[in-house]
Amino acid sequence: MKVQILGTGCPKCRMLEETARRVIEKYNLPAEVEKVTDLDAIMDMGVMITPALAIDGEVKSAGKILNEDQVKSYIEGGK
Amino acid sequence: MADQASCSCGSNRETNLLYSCSGAANTGLLADQVMRTLMHDKVGSGTCLAAVGADLSGFIVSARNATRNIVIDGCPVGCGKRIFEKNSLPYHHFVATDYGVEKGKTFITGDVIESVASKIASEIQAAKG
Repeated sequence: MKVQILGTGCPKCRMLEETARRVIEKYNLPAEVEKVTDLDAIMDMGVMITPALAIDGEVKSAGKILNEDQVKSYIEGGK
Repeated sequence: MADQASCSCGSNRETNLLYSCSGAANTGLLADQVMRTLMHDKVGSGTCLAAVGADLSGFIVSARNATRNIVIDGCPVGCGKRIFEKNSLPYHHFVATDYGVEKGKTFITGDVIESVASKIASEIQAAKG
């Protein structure tokens, strides 16, 4: 499973990335994190508000700093 | 160390997203050109209505979390409005024919585009309070 963090590098984007990495490690989830910082790539995915989180190419959240429970829920297939 | 200044992060500022119908009629052309004028004037960021209609996740999630979605339809058929309602997304709706433009008749000039864009920009500003 690929967890993508979309953002150009602001503190909030980094915070979301750190949360995602922490959740994956803490719960030993079968996922890898990819940071997407290229603005064209971000916009190609339709993301107009960052930070955003996508799971296997599907955008789950945009414009929000998610907490651990929210990130875990998305990775585990929740909405 | 200073944080990177250039950032598209919308979490702490308004995000106004602009959508236009871009249909085949003169009114679709007008809606599209008005949207581009509003983009140029920094009223909001233009994005793709068709992508919302196609249920592309990034566009749907962005629309759900935008401060304001501004949907500009060309005519009362309201395809843009229907797309937003189908997806239960919040929106502010504008129709080009509400501004003295006749579908299939009015020739779309730069003056017409500027006039309609200016009126819609004023209404958006008023909606912001």
